[in-house]
Amino acid sequence: MNIKIPVSWIRDYLKTDVAAKTLANVLSASGPSIEKIEKVKEDYVFDVEVTSNRTDSASVFGLAREANAILSNLGEKSHLVNPKGIDVVLEPDTSNILSLDVVIKDINLCPRFTAIIIDNVKIKPSPAVIQNRLMLSGIRPINNIVDITNYIMLEMGQPMHAFDYDRIRGAKMVLRESIEGEKIVTLDKTTRKLPKGSIVIEDSERLIDLCGIMGGANSQISKRTKKAVLFVQAYDPKTIKKTTQNLSFRTEAAARFEKGVDLETIPNALSRAVYLAKTNAGAKIASELIDIYKNKPKTPAITLNIRKLNNYLGEEIHPNLAIKILSLLGFEAKLQEKSIIAKPPSWRLDDVDDDVDLIEEIARIYGYQNLKSEIPKGEIPISPKNVTEEIIELKRALKFLGLTEIISYSIISKKMLGLAQPKKEEIVELQNPLTENWQYMRPSILISLTEVIGQNRYIQQDLKIFEIAKTYIAQGDDLPKQDLQLAIAVFPGDFFEVKGYLENIAKIIGREIQLKPIAKKHPLFRQNQSAGVFSGKEQVGEVGILDSKTTNYFDIKNAVCALEINLSTLYGLPAVTKTYKSIPKYPSVIEDISAIFTSKTALDEIIQAARKAGLPLVTNVEVIDVFQDEKLGIDKKSVTLRLTYQKSDATPAQEEVTEARNKISSVLEKSLLARIRKK
Amino acid sequence: MLNRIQNVLEAAQKVIKSASSQKHLEKIYIDFFGKKGKFTELSKSISKIPKRQKADFGKSLNQAKEQILASFEKQKKQITSGDEKQTIDITTPGKKTEIGHIHLVSQAIDEIVDIFKRIGFSLQSYPEVDWDWYAFESLNMPKNHPARDEWETFFVKSKPNATLGNQVLTPHTSNGQVREMRRVKNPPVRMLNISRCYRRQVDVSHTPMFHQFEGMLIEKNVAISNLKGTLDYFTQKFFGKERKSRLRPHHFRFTEPSFEVDVTCGVCLGRGCKFCKSGWVELGGAGMIHPNVIKAGKLDPKKYTGFAFGWGIERTIAMRTEIGDIRLLFQNDIRFLEQF
Repeated sequence: MNIKIPVSWIRDYLKTDVAAKTLANVLSASGPSIEKIEKVKEDYVFDVEVTSNRTDSASVFGLAREANAILSNLGEKSHLVNPKGIDVVLEPDTSNILSLDVVIKDINLCPRFTAIIIDNVKIKPSPAVIQNRLMLSGIRPINNIVDITNYIMLEMGQPMHAFDYDRIRGAKMVLRESIEGEKIVTLDKTTRKLPKGSIVIEDSERLIDLCGIMGGANSQISKRTKKAVLFVQAYDPKTIKKTTQNLSFRTEAAARFEKGVDLETIPNALSRAVYLAKTNAGAKIASELIDIYKNKPKTPAITLNIRKLNNYLGEEIHPNLAIKILSLLGFEAKLQEKSIIAKPPSWRLDDVDDDVDLIEEIARIYGYQNLKSEIPKGEIPISPKNVTEEIIELKRALKFLGLTEIISYSIISKKMLGLAQPKKEEIVELQNPLTENWQYMRPSILISLTEVIGQNRYIQQDLKIFEIAKTYIAQGDDLPKQDLQLAIAVFPGDFFEVKGYLENIAKIIGREIQLKPIAKKHPLFRQNQSAGVFSGKEQVGEVGILDSKTTNYFDIKNAVCALEINLSTLYGLPAVTKTYKSIPKYPSVIEDISAIFTSKTALDEIIQAARKAGLPLVTNVEVIDVFQDEKLGIDKKSVTLRLTYQKSDATPAQEEVTEARNKISSVLEKSLLARIRKK
Repeated sequence: MLNRIQNVLEAAQKVIKSASSQKHLEKIYIDFFGKKGKFTELSKSISKIPKRQKADFGKSLNQAKEQILASFEKQKKQITSGDEKQTIDITTPGKKTEIGHIHLVSQAIDEIVDIFKRIGFSLQSYPEVDWDWYAFESLNMPKNHPARDEWETFFVKSKPNATLGNQVLTPHTSNGQVREMRRVKNPPVRMLNISRCYRRQVDVSHTPMFHQFEGMLIEKNVAISNLKGTLDYFTQKFFGKERKSRLRPHHFRFTEPSFEVDVTCGVCLGRGCKFCKSGWVELGGAGMIHPNVIKAGKLDPKKYTGFAFGWGIERTIAMRTEIGDIRLLFQNDIRFLEQF
């Protein structure tokens, strides 16, 4: 939480000559962070960030206390002065004693309860200094009594409340848990319907306080108020938190009670409030002090081994210095053999309970800036190479292939999810989505990639994009399967360009990849213009042209060609091992052969047939040209193969080449019904 | 008709002379002599020529063909052997292969991993959809602990596990801490974990998905000074030699002591300026791993200590570039992506 505090107010209690800026710096270095300093007339205002464990320093006095410890350790002149009135014993000023009947139903809800009644109150505006300080801290002044409650909260860190005594019916207060559906109108004139288990106070007829959060409008201080109840408590932090969550309503008081307040100084806060009421409103004490405090928390004695302290710091610190630091912070600390035994002050009970907590206290006041800076010199562990590390290299390679990386949200809408047609039991859905657009964890990256193409479709250039990310497939009650996938999309799309990327990727990552037809249409691809991507027997993905249902959704008119492959699976497969083959000593003979086939004959079939027929002389068969023409006949294509004839012990002789070529020709003619064009 | 032959001849010679590569030359060849090439078309037109002019036309055609082929040969030689006297216009644009772009986030990840690899850290990966136990409870944050409020967490619709709790989208990379300890079993541990993380918030400096980076080191006798050394090393490598880092007290449940890490401002180098106010800019969080967390990792906190540190990748990018609104990083406008 952040609070704003005028420096002049801190200086009421912190007596030191250091400048505001220095004060901010030393606090930031060793205590709460001063995030901003604002100059207002002659004063400065600190914007202080207080971490959730240090609500003790979320006040003027708490900050002064912290600063005093830090400055004293630095050798700066500094001492603390207590706020006026905090030590005054509260006794009635009049013989006309008023009564208040207090019943606490469950002492766990309210660990300490104090209250006192004041009479003779004259409601008027607060003195200028109080009004100014409240305003600088971001609180609107109201009247002298209400202002005191806010002033005490900022000054002492203790939230408090004031009731109009005459409006508490039956002079009775019953503190209890709320019943489900009970209503109270709070000071902000809002009717609040309470859940079960909030802490409330009821007088003899109705609810008058939503404890720890906001008082009731029916008993608030008004211009006519003559008698008031000043009221300082602590509440069970968990219960307060539950209520603020249930009601979605949090006040500054609640934010403090949620984290716990210092039980020991509650009467001091009340005394200070009475002092201010006497000074600013002419009040007189009209009751005995009510102080209900049954279970005083125990203060633990924590043992810190000196060697452990030194190990943490990375250097040796004199035990006396460590003890001095702890004492400056209000701890009772002493040396016992090789350990420090320390008892935390009451305002640190919730925060400090371990030896490492003491180490933090000593180290921060000693000054983190004073510790050495050393690269760890220990043994370097040997760890297996994780796929995520391989991916850094893969991304670099894809970049040089001309692809641009995008990063899109892993959370997608119901409609986008629908495109991928996932099985119901594989869907990963969020319980508390932020918006409809971000509701499901995506099972495929390709949908998002297509969306990106849709967003960029009017830019006059080709789009070649990729993304690598985890995808999510639910697995019953277990965590979802979260494999890393790669998706590529090219627009306008060309199947063979994307297939080319795939072949390049196979080489880059050293895994074998083949395409095989898929029997069932994939939800995102065109049936006859897509293929399964396989490595050995395992299918690792798909490649193809996206179907129009997918592209239409993103308003894309041209074809998008894409692939998506599972990198977790692929990298898990053994890498292709490279073995040495001797480099041929004799030149090869290369020649081309053209033949006409039916269009349906797959090129791979032709290559395999030629390769097999040409063994062992033909060492390589490549397709160098394919074309279709009416002149060739309907459903025909001409294919030119380039054959490499190679021997290890001589240049192939003309007769050998002719023999092999004839064999290939006849195989192509017989088994693939080809017509040889030229040899 | 003869005029047309002349035109084609001249056109051919002109483009052949301009050819700068073998490939280019081959393309020109196809342009003229391919099935629909300009010269092929010309030859086909012989059928339309009156009979008595056919001989002349054929002759001219053959002459032209020879001349063109000769030009091809000449230019081919030029290209392959080079003309020593010819001056190259060095201002002509080079021939390039199109190169793509790596996303700014990945670039930063690449750089960070590289920096920490040199001091023995290795990159590991842990689930993004994880159990509450790894994301919170094992990190010294029991159920309903107020510290959990600092993370606006997404929950997954699923049956809670009896011991591990709900499934959540991990709001930080620290869910990898205990998993890594249990994986390694015997320290030393030097881990990097970079992952997508998720929190329920969107504004200029927050996106519901972001990337976090985390380093963890566990061995015997690890000191705060070692954390300082590691962070100083990173700061100088990543931000520049003249930059410094510092620790300030902070609070996290899974570290004790806990720190906020600042780096000297890149503009004023720590003197204080209108950008940074104090001379320092906040980088991330760090701390000495809490003994309870080490215990959850099934290691002995009496024997081993360690530190962890981490921050948002997007934040470091914002610190180095002038991107004010980090949502830009995930809008995927190709014109933005191509700037980096």
